[in-house]
Order: sequence, then structure tokens, then C-alpha cells
Amino acid sequence: MHWSTDRRGFLKTAGASLAAAAALPRFAWAAEGTTLRLRVMSDFQVLDPFGIIGELDDIIPRCTNVTLVRLGDMREGNQWRPWAAEKIEWLDDTRLAFTLRDGLKWTGDFGPVTAADVKFSFERIAGSDSAWAYQFEKLKEVEVIDDRNGVIHLTEPFAPFLIIALPYYGGHIVSQKAVEAAGGSYTTEIPAQCGPYLFDTWEQNQKVTLKANPDWTGEKPAFERVEFYIVTDDQAAQLAYEADAYDFTRVAVGAAAQLKGAMPDGAALIEAPGTRYAWLTINMNAEPLKDIRVRQAIQHAYDGQAVLDGAYDGLVARSTGVVPPTSGYARAQNLIARDVEKAKALLAEAGSEALELNLYALTDGTSQTIAQIIQANLAEAGITINIQPVEDAAYWALGDKTAGESYKSVELVLMNFAGGIDPTENLVWFRPDQIGIYNWSFFDNAEFEGLYQASTTEQDTEKRRAMFNKMEDLMEQSGGFIFICFEPYLALHDADLVPVILADGHPDPVAFRKA
Amino acid sequence: MSFVVDPALPARRGIGRALLADPMGLAGLVIVVTFVAMALLAPWIAPYDPIALDVKAKFLTPSAAHWAGTDHLGRDLLSRIIWGARLALGIAITSVGIAGVIGLVLGLVAGYGPRWLDSGLVLVFDSLSSLPMIFFALAVITVLGPGTLTLILVIVLVSFPAYARLIRTQTLTLAGADYILAERAMGARPGRIIFRHLLPNVVGPLVILICMDIPVVIMLEAGLSYLNLGVKPPSPSWGNILAEGYTSLRQAPHVVIVAGVPLVLATLGFTFLGEGLRDVLDPRGAGRRWA
Repeated sequence: MHWSTDRRGFLKTAGASLAAAAALPRFAWAAEGTTLRLRVMSDFQVLDPFGIIGELDDIIPRCTNVTLVRLGDMREGNQWRPWAAEKIEWLDDTRLAFTLRDGLKWTGDFGPVTAADVKFSFERIAGSDSAWAYQFEKLKEVEVIDDRNGVIHLTEPFAPFLIIALPYYGGHIVSQKAVEAAGGSYTTEIPAQCGPYLFDTWEQNQKVTLKANPDWTGEKPAFERVEFYIVTDDQAAQLAYEADAYDFTRVAVGAAAQLKGAMPDGAALIEAPGTRYAWLTINMNAEPLKDIRVRQAIQHAYDGQAVLDGAYDGLVARSTGVVPPTSGYARAQNLIARDVEKAKALLAEAGSEALELNLYALTDGTSQTIAQIIQANLAEAGITINIQPVEDAAYWALGDKTAGESYKSVELVLMNFAGGIDPTENLVWFRPDQIGIYNWSFFDNAEFEGLYQASTTEQDTEKRRAMFNKMEDLMEQSGGFIFICFEPYLALHDADLVPVILADGHPDPVAFRKA
Repeated sequence: MSFVVDPALPARRGIGRALLADPMGLAGLVIVVTFVAMALLAPWIAPYDPIALDVKAKFLTPSAAHWAGTDHLGRDLLSRIIWGARLALGIAITSVGIAGVIGLVLGLVAGYGPRWLDSGLVLVFDSLSSLPMIFFALAVITVLGPGTLTLILVIVLVSFPAYARLIRTQTLTLAGADYILAERAMGARPGRIIFRHLLPNVVGPLVILICMDIPVVIMLEAGLSYLNLGVKPPSPSWGNILAEGYTSLRQAPHVVIVAGVPLVLATLGFTFLGEGLRDVLDPRGAGRRWA
């Protein structure tokens, strides 16, 4: 048989073949090399579970490290399931026994994941100055039975331990040998990994890539690679999504109406009650704010409805605290209502009529919109607000005592935190020991602390609700807080993708599936 | 009383007439005068308070009530644009004005002063000029914090070396001219030579350069404000309006358009005017046009 072709013929044939291949639905994923592309808002800073801070800091360890249990999608009730643990069960109220799955192996010849690693991972955080020490506050010790078996001992009964401590943040297991060899902690280079993915490449402030771990013996993830694209701006992120730059992105609340009217082809919208709570921090340690009448004047001058209408398109209601309404433990209402005349009177009484304050807010559109509305609200009472837009990294240093003395004098800060499942996970940040860490209001209340401790062991739902409500009353009465809302969760994703969003509002790439 | 007739002075006669005869220069003049009038009359011609919020009325499209529509906080965009002109021109004219005066003085001193002083000043001019403008601006803003005064300081610092170098070069050229040498030979004091002969002859090119720089400064202010590094909210800087409009580009494209049009027009206006002035004041250009 004689077969011949020329350059034009070859190109025609090749072009037709590629077009046909691309048209096959099953090849759509193959065309992207089974890569999952996610947009995140900011770069990571620390990957050591001891010191992780935000979004990507926690998402990467979800892929490169294991936890004893893993949570399901927040929209499906945050159901937990064993993950690194083959079996995990309460022996009694204070003893939790676990058996690690066989075949979990660290990279870099650090051997298998052992119960000793679990002990090391948890006990290094418990009682430390890590932000995640609260997760292990009730931890007495981890008893190592053998390589794969151990028992977690608690100081007192604490039923939420399993969902608070184990699934994320400080619950990620690290290799004792590798971490000790690295000097006891690490930042951006994980000394030993054991997860469905391995850290592959990092283009600072641009992109992070993970690749499948060939030694992973657990359930295979649906994608060979995961790429995180760092795009701070929501508008740019949405445009890039529509240009097929990635498969999943959160979008701004303000985009909801437009998206519902005209969804991009092949996209689906997630719209769910969020667990991320927003509030205004009023630092009662800052000189102009030491007088409670001044703080209360700010609370009275605040127009909650204007913020909701202006920044959230009226999609959410005003929050009454940091406990989400979906938990069943939220307060019925705030104590302080808008009253500009009262605000003026309080300022006059305090001798602070010509008050001028700095309000720090992140540079994203929603934060800046809220800041400007607050600026206008407070101007009605005679308070001049200077808005100070701050980039992500500088923002988190504002209230950090390790970053200098400025945490003592920062005045107003617009804040929002990823929430948890149990109300204690949201209230923990306002305890006295969090001053200079995440309690930027300098809120230091012994009754609050007592109620917090009691709420962790109280089993009765009604009693717990009363405790949480009282704690939020104390927060508001201190003048250190103005509760704004629980931000709605909005995300765009390819319709042929099944995303999994954890309770903190961040995705779990390992659990993403193809539809 | 003048000892010697300055040969450059007669060329300056008829500048206004020449500028009006140039369509591009005329267009630039009209645009610039319009913006200046808008800036000066802002309190009287702006239909609304530019920072008054009405969140229920956000993203209104242009209508009889709001000729340019409203922004994401329900603020009247026309009022913000009008007040924005005051801010943009105020910053631009103030900063290049200060930079121009500094450049003029230092340029004359360098060009007509002793050699050692000239060398020192040139070193300063070159050092400042070698800094990339945007990075230098970002560094200064990082240290001092964003704000209008910081912005003016940044623009002054990045602009004056170019003006000073221009004036120095002009001064060096003129200082060797016959009529200046004649003045010196007849015992004229340096002050007289500088103010009577050098200054009038070097100011023309400086005015052109400043005029050409104003749109650059307007864009720099808008750019830095867009990045949250310039004028602080709620001041109606065109850059702020653009940045806020950008976050709602899909919902309300009119915000970005409304903020973009004056920026483009002001840039064009000052550029046209600067080019018109250059054609008029540049001796070579003058020769061409007035032949």
C-alpha cells in the first residue's frame, strides 16, 4: 500500500482529529490534563499547621497532609468521616481511640505516619501560643499504643472535640522526625508530606501547583493536578473565570443579581448561607477609645441597614453576634440600635466632639464599601473617619503583638473571620488570651471567659444557648464590637464539577469530583 | 534701563493669537478652560453633595435627576466628576507648580552658579531621575501613608529634576550668548542677568514642559488613587471613581465610562495645549508657523 501526504494534508488531518477529540465530552477534562483549577484570594504564608493563618495556608495542608477525620460539605451539614483514621471512637466521655490506616507514608524516607506523629502534632500546639491552641485546650495527652493505635485523653468531657480539633487547622498531622529535623517548625517548605497531593511549584502571588502523590494509598482524588490561581480582586476573578482561566472561584456578593440574570455558559452558581462573620472592631485600648461612652457613641451612630443594602445588596440580615443563625444558638437581636442624637450626646459627655479615628479595611470592594458607609454614618455624629486601605499581609499584622506595638493603638478595624461548626469556634477569638493575636478589641472579660469554659462542657442545648447569648451581650456591652452580618457564600464553578466547601468557607480540593 | 536688547523677547509677541490660530491648541485651550472653570465653580454647579450617600439609589443609570447616574453608594456621579476636576487639577497644578518653581531656581543656580555647585546639583537631579517613578511613588507612599499631601510630595520629587535639568541646559546655553557676555562686560550684577535676561528666556520651555506634564500627573494621581494609594475616600478623585466603578463593571458600566471620559478629555486637553504652546514658543516651530 502506498501512503503519502503533504504538509497541507497533514495539517488538515491533524486539525480534524483534534477538533473531533475536543468535541467528545469525556475529553473535556483530558484536554486540561485532569487538572483542577481553583482561584484563591491570597497567597499562602505558612504551611506548618502550628502557624497557618488563612485561606491557602489551610487548603494546601488539606491536600498534602492528613487529618484523623475530614468534614463534608457545609451545605450538607458538615458530616464528618474518618480520614487518616481507619477507626475512631469514643471509649468514654474523655477518651477517644483511633487506629491509623495502613499504608500512610511520609515523603523523604520519614517512614509511615504513626500514632507518635499524631501525639507530636497535637501536643506541640496544645498550650502553645499557636492561634490553634484552642482546638486542643481540653487535650490532656495522646497515648501511643503502637505505631497505628493511640488514645486521645481529654481533661474533661468535650463532645465537639472531634469536629473542632481534628478536621483542619491544627488538626493536620505532621511528621515528628521531619519537623524536628527542620528545627521544630517550618514555613513554606513542607519537610515531609503525606496526602493525596504533593506540593509541586509555587509562583509567588501568582500560582501554586500540587501534583498527585504516587504513594498515596487512600481513595484517589478525581484530579491529577490542582492549580491555585491567586487573584485578589473579585471582579478580575470573575472575568478570568468567564475566560476559562479556572474552574472554581468565589464571587463578590454584588455580582449575584447579574449572575442570576445571565450565567456564563456551562457554569453553576453556589449561593449558600455563609459561616464567615463580619464585624467592626473597636479597640478599647486605643487612647481615643478608652472611654466607653465614645465606643458606645460609635455603636449608636452605626447604620446597619445601610451597610447591608449598600455592601450586600440586602441579601443578608444584620448579625446579632458571631454565632451563626444556622447554628440555632444565635441571639434574637442586638442591644444597641441606631440613634445619632444619642451618639452625639455621648460624645459631648465624654468631651470627644472633634473625634478623628482611623478605620483599617482590606482593599477589596466589599470592605471598602462598608468602610465608606461607616465613614458617612459616623460623620453624622461628628466623628471623622480616615479610611486606611490595607493589603492582606499588612492587614494581619495590625493586631499581631509579634509585629510590634501597633496592636495596642490600632483604632477601628473592619474584620471578618471564617466560622466553624460549634459556636465556641467563633467565640474563642475574643477570649483574653487572644489579645494581640485575633482579639483586636482588647476585650478582656472574666465573665465571658467563665461562660466560654462552661459552654465547652455543658451538654444541654438550652443552657448552651443562654451562655452564648450572654457572651455576645457582654461583647456588645463592652463597646468593642459592632456586628455586621454573616456574609453569604457565593461561588461560580463549572457545571460538570462537584465542589466541596468546608465549614470555614474554603474548598476541599481533595473531595472535588467530576459530575 | 537695559544695557542690551534681548533678541529672544520679540518672539513672544502674539502668543495668544498664534495659539488661537492653531486648531489643536485652540481645542486644548477650550478643554482646559472648561475643566478649570468646572473646578473653580464646583460648589455652585455640582447638583448634589459629592459624598452624600443614598444606598437605596445605587447604580441609577443617567436620568433627568442624575445626569451621569449614581455610583455603588448612590452618590451623584456628575457631582463627583465636577468635584473630582477640582481635586485632579488642584493636585496636578499645585504639584507641578511647586516642582516648576523648585526646578527653575535650582536649574538657574546650577547653570549660572559655580562649577562645584553645578556638579553637586546635577548629581542630585540624576540620582532622583534614575528612580523609576512608580516604584519611587510606591516607596514614599509606603513610608508616609497614602493621602493628598503625600501624593503632591511624590509628584514634586519625581518632577522637579527634569525641570531643573531643562532650565540648567537653557541657562548654560544663554550664559554664553553675546548679549549676556556684553551685559557682564558692562558690569551687570548676576541678579540682574538672571532675572532680567535668563529667567524670561528659560521660562517658556518650562511652561511647555509643565503643561505637557499635567496630564501625566493627572493620570498618576488617578492611577495611585485607583490602587488605593492616592486620595483617600470619600474624596471624589477620578481614580477612586474608576476603581469603585471597576468593582461593579458588569452591573453598572456607566460608572467607569463616566469616570473615564473626563480623564481622557483632560489628558487630551492639556496635551493639545502643551503642543500648541510648544509650536508657538519653540523658536524653530515659531519660524515654521510664522513664516
